[in-house]
Amino acid sequence: MRLQIDERRCKGCNLCTLVCPYRIFKPGKRANLRGVIVPELDRPERCANCRLRDLYGRTLCGMCQMICPDQAISWVKEEEHVPKKVAIEY
Amino acid sequence: MSEEEWLRQDRLPHIFCAGCGNGTVINCTLSAVEQIGWKKQDTIFVSGIGCSSRAPGYISTDSLHTTHGRALAFATGIKLANPGLNVVVFTGDGDLAAIGGNHFIHACRRNIDITVVCMNNMIYGMTGGQGSPTTPLGGLSTTTPYGSKEPAFDLCGLASAAGANYVARWTSYHVRELTRSILTGLETPGFSFIESLVQCPTNYGRRNRFKQVTDQIEYFRSHTILVEKAVRMKEKGEEVPADMILSGEFVRRNRPALGVRP
Ligand code: SF4
Ligand code: SF4
Repeated sequence: MRLQIDERRCKGCNLCTLVCPYRIFKPGKRANLRGVIVPELDRPERCANCRLRDLYGRTLCGMCQMICPDQAISWVKEEEHVPKKVAIEY
Repeated sequence: MSEEEWLRQDRLPHIFCAGCGNGTVINCTLSAVEQIGWKKQDTIFVSGIGCSSRAPGYISTDSLHTTHGRALAFATGIKLANPGLNVVVFTGDGDLAAIGGNHFIHACRRNIDITVVCMNNMIYGMTGGQGSPTTPLGGLSTTTPYGSKEPAFDLCGLASAAGANYVARWTSYHVRELTRSILTGLETPGFSFIESLVQCPTNYGRRNRFKQVTDQIEYFRSHTILVEKAVRMKEKGEEVPADMILSGEFVRRNRPALGVRP
């Protein structure tokens, strides 16, 4: 699972930076195209939910998602890495 | 199904200001509705007028956006016409306590089987920040520029006295507890009233020394006290500080309810 912030929904309130026990969210520095300063993710792979959600089959922790007033935080399935053969033509 | 499926994706992002706590309360309510396993076609969200009352517009079930203060009257009508429906009312402090005050006490008295989630932002947010009945003593607003001189309305005390079956209060910081309380409210037959204090960064926070959204959430975190703890402190003869927000479950009882599914 990969943690992501939907930049089209986030309004930059920084509430998520308060609640994460791992302090994954850091107040952002640069405004995006909509003029919103979206928080930055600091090593999101530490999130309990990313690591253990599939194992337990339910949402763990999830505090950031619950407190986010703009429903911007979600987890997406990571696609498995498939090695590709590249044919090189000379 | 997940909470995301209860939202109307095409309507998001919603119009609430950055950091407005109403969005958090929507998350908690949808999570509770999801946990109790209600179906979309038997669930209906009702609201009056105000910032909080825009919430049902973002939820993909049937909803009623009614006139100011009359959400409870419409909800009573729905429940009596078809007791098979699950009715949840979103309302704000002005909508519920000021304009709809009479509907509120009589809905409690009738103990009609609906769940009311009150997002109390302590101000009239949508109309530009006038003082509401729940503006705390000393709170600044456009109509109380020198600080409110009136004591605030204790909505939970009112609901308990008027006869609601379940009464609880939390803040938008206490997402877990709020979700649990809403779930209990949904399960309880009879009138359930859950008040959630929410931050209003644009109109309340800005005027009351909360520069950032996070400041008001920090305030909620540090200034809430559980009812049980307050009772214990009183028994020991200690003084509960006046600015503390009492939170927790106030009432859980089993008065005969109206409109319960036969
Ligand atoms: S809580 Fe949500 S809206 Fe606020 S900054 Fe974090 S992701 Fe953005
Ligand atoms: S689910 Fe919990 S641990 Fe993971 S990012 Fe959110 S708050 Fe942090």
